[in-house]
Amino acid sequence: MTRKRKMTAMLLALTLATGSLAACSSGNNNPPANSGGTTNSPSENTGNSDAPDTITALLPPVSPAYQENFKQMEEEFNKLYPNLTLKIEPASWEDMTQKLDTQVNAGSPPDLAFIGSDGISKYAQMDMLMDIQDLVTPEMLADFDEAPLEYMKNGDGLYGFPAYMEVHAIGGNKQYMEEAGIDWKAVQENGWTYDEFREAIQSGVVQENGNTRYGFVFATAGVASKDYLSILVKNAGMPSPFTEDLKYAYTSNNYLDVLKAIREMIDDGSMPRELSSVDAGKRWNMFLTGQTMITGKGLAVFENSANQNNEKIKAGDGSAVADSIEVDYLVLPMPSFGDHDPVSYAVVDGYVAFRGKNEPTDEHKANVVKAAYFLASGNVAATTNSDLFAAHITESGREAAASIESNRNPDNVAAVDRMLEHAAPARPDIPVDLGAQAIKVENETIIPRLQALLADEITPEEMFEDVKKAAIAAFGEDGVVQD
Amino acid sequence: MALYNNHLGNRTTRTFRNTILIVLLLLFALATLFPIYFMLISSFGDPVEAGAISYSLWPGKFSLESYKFFFAFSEHSYRWILNSLIVATVVMVSNVIFATTAGYAFSKINFRGRALLFAILLSSMMIPYQVTQVPLYILIVNIFQIQNTYQALIMPTLVTVYNIFLAKQFMSSIPREVLESAKVEGANQFQTLIRIILPLSKTVMAVMAILTFMETWNTFFWPFLVTNTMDMQTIQVGLKNFRFANTTYFAPMMAGATISALPMFILFFSLQRYFLEGVTVGAVKG
Amino acid sequence: MSRATSRARNRLNRGDSAWAYLFIIVALLVYALFTAYPVLSAFIISFQEYSPRGSTYIGIDNYTSILQSELFYKSIRNTIIYTVLTVPVALILSFAVSIMIMPLQKRLQTTFKAVYYLPAVASGVALAVVWLWIFDPMSAGVLNRFLGFFGLDSQNWLGSSSTAMFSLVLMSWLSSHGTAIIIYVAALLGIDSSYYEAADIDGANFFQKMWHIVIPCLKPTTLFLLVTGVIGSFQVFQNAYLMTGGGPNHATTMVGLLIFDTAFKYFEFGKAAAQSLLLALMIGIIAFLQFKFLGKDVEY
Repeated sequence: MTRKRKMTAMLLALTLATGSLAACSSGNNNPPANSGGTTNSPSENTGNSDAPDTITALLPPVSPAYQENFKQMEEEFNKLYPNLTLKIEPASWEDMTQKLDTQVNAGSPPDLAFIGSDGISKYAQMDMLMDIQDLVTPEMLADFDEAPLEYMKNGDGLYGFPAYMEVHAIGGNKQYMEEAGIDWKAVQENGWTYDEFREAIQSGVVQENGNTRYGFVFATAGVASKDYLSILVKNAGMPSPFTEDLKYAYTSNNYLDVLKAIREMIDDGSMPRELSSVDAGKRWNMFLTGQTMITGKGLAVFENSANQNNEKIKAGDGSAVADSIEVDYLVLPMPSFGDHDPVSYAVVDGYVAFRGKNEPTDEHKANVVKAAYFLASGNVAATTNSDLFAAHITESGREAAASIESNRNPDNVAAVDRMLEHAAPARPDIPVDLGAQAIKVENETIIPRLQALLADEITPEEMFEDVKKAAIAAFGEDGVVQD
Repeated sequence: MALYNNHLGNRTTRTFRNTILIVLLLLFALATLFPIYFMLISSFGDPVEAGAISYSLWPGKFSLESYKFFFAFSEHSYRWILNSLIVATVVMVSNVIFATTAGYAFSKINFRGRALLFAILLSSMMIPYQVTQVPLYILIVNIFQIQNTYQALIMPTLVTVYNIFLAKQFMSSIPREVLESAKVEGANQFQTLIRIILPLSKTVMAVMAILTFMETWNTFFWPFLVTNTMDMQTIQVGLKNFRFANTTYFAPMMAGATISALPMFILFFSLQRYFLEGVTVGAVKG
Repeated sequence: MSRATSRARNRLNRGDSAWAYLFIIVALLVYALFTAYPVLSAFIISFQEYSPRGSTYIGIDNYTSILQSELFYKSIRNTIIYTVLTVPVALILSFAVSIMIMPLQKRLQTTFKAVYYLPAVASGVALAVVWLWIFDPMSAGVLNRFLGFFGLDSQNWLGSSSTAMFSLVLMSWLSSHGTAIIIYVAALLGIDSSYYEAADIDGANFFQKMWHIVIPCLKPTTLFLLVTGVIGSFQVFQNAYLMTGGGPNHATTMVGLLIFDTAFKYFEFGKAAAQSLLLALMIGIIAFLQFKFLGKDVEY
């Protein structure tokens, strides 16, 4: 009996010992291995910028050829700054957030990571970002277009450089649109209202040999439903979840109008009843096989994908998508609601600077900025953005890209440029805790209810009430728009 | 003789019975094999993007382009397979050794704290990894500083509770008399383990070997976390590189998945002898 | 037991404990370092508002806020439904298949085992792609065509709250049971043939042998598969994550997914740790009950 107790005590001691190890590690200033901030020379001399330093960057395969170029990028950077080493960590897209989050939570993030600008507030909240505002040279700033650069800000800080700015639009089948009598050129040039759009997609519905060709199909399965709603509400007077005076916008009646429209388009028969489980792969397949006239979301690079399939059909070797038809892909803007201005949904991704548990030296900070600028401008940016069919957002990138050939449809290029002019402005003024609350409302209430709305399980009014309730619980009666 | 009556009437009855069994088994096999079939036929397609998958039951075209693409995609394609082989083999061997000894101790030796220790081990299985991954990462990367090494890939799973539990359950059905008789002959526990337990546990060790190998081979997240150069990635991490921002090279991904499944087959068929023969305790007893 | 034999036994068992500790020492070390330490630090974190640059101690706030959250209870309900529908079916299916494999020729046995094991070697992501295709909501979808064959209406499988959970369950039924089958077959082969011989002499038929020999002898194995199956099912995360993202309307939000979201979507690490420990407590109670009711006759 006593032996048994002794054993237990020993075990307890063992677990306690490991426990104190835990306590140690969280309080101790253990140098995070891959945070350059602690590995560079301890010299306080900030004027000496020739000390060797390593900058780590966590990068996903941004474009198909991107990862292949890592070695070359590292070498070029080293040639430019012989004392600096750029160490690139490759990561796959969908898992890279989880890796970054684990590293951030462990207190040892990489110096740079390629993420969406919407992720900035999440890391800013944890105080794990590096403000590079004071370290950026005027020449660097001048190189970037202003709108995308704004997206890399939060509060007063600038946390990195943008790589590209893309609009999420919709894509149309030229032939079908002409058959339905839609003047697509005018739409590309002047946009359309929801009523015009509703009519257009209704006239695009065709029944042929037992199959339905829909007017419009948007990928809404799972969390993708978020994209659908975000793209729509931007054009209904709510370019951001928060108004200028920082009130939560989605409690406005404009929001209800959008929810009603979502149901209307399905009930009209213009969109499939099963919309709630159409995923990104499925709707692109439907577009290529002529089961829909318009699809969303649409990115500029889809034109390339459609062109490739057209060539395969011509080659006739069975490699094209089964049952697919030749398609001319048209970039189209989203419709606007009521009298509201069309605002396009812009996505800005870029190189964001992180800091570890320990304060990085000024010297290291300056080196991180050099690396971020190297990646976001000039040759690297030119190649990447051309691969992606994305517009160039730096002067140096445009210059470097001048020699790269493009076979894009000029109408589409012009349409994208026009939409970029209407891109929703960045909102660095939204405080991080408000932003975090909004994300929570979105994930816990909006997305689930939207899925139910799409599946015809609740009415737009019911969803609106639920969102209102959740919003008031999160932001208070005074924190939300009441109209 | 056995569970089934082999001298059951005449030959036709037996054939009839076996045919029905085979038909039932085949039907179930069809359902489970369907995804694999799809994986295989898509791997013979062109290296196109995922949005353009054909969703057809029959390949429109037979080409090995995707296999070539897989190996040409990265200079590290072979290295990924090698890394996976090294890690999975080491983890497999160490699990078979240490889980067998621990399983034996927990099932057949009376020692103080046995029940408590086992309960503690088992309870650790109940904590989801989402929560332990950050402390584990801190331990490996910030404290031990061994990220991007084979040690980091191998150490956390040197021996798993799952395998200890499995070994313990299997060994619990070995009759005690067999061990007692060894004792009477003056064998110590180590000798008993080698001479009696191991021959009787070939089956469970083979099962453990294949399950552990497979599990390690298929692990994605941990190797993804602790590697930071392409040459240290495992095949599962490498495969994910085929996914880009808005596109996926679907066929090469499937080709890679097919290639990565091959070692499993080889292992499976080389270990099948142990699965099938089984063991007869009686033989040892007699 | 007489005192003399017990003394003899004690003499025989001398030194056993030392061997036992030697046999488990590696397992214990690996456990202490790579499991106990992270679990302990998760325990500490669960009382904190975690931040890599200095956490704040907030007592049991994480726990109280979880216990007040409607979504937590909903996710537990979903998890229990999923577990009840999948784990027993998996056990019965794999048991039946193992029994059916036994009388076949050796080569056929191997082939079937390999075939059933195959789905386990395919990556989860690749499988999810295929299942999304099977659950295609349009009338041309694989499963809907199958329903249409019997004159039934098409279903919006993953897109509707009423069928989404069932779809995930169906996926689990038809996915890999290879591990369980291999373990069961191994256990079946381990049954001493002398038991069957004795039963044959008594003139027992197939079902009597099943009831009196096979089922009792497989009890340790069944217990193992049941406990690990329930643990796995309570932590299930990938299928819901890849197939439905927890929707529609939280119909497939399970605890594993909720913990993931809390930790990585909302960055509330302390709360996620608390959720996990509550989950572990639940699994622990269930496992304890399983041992209590099924572990009784098992010889240790």
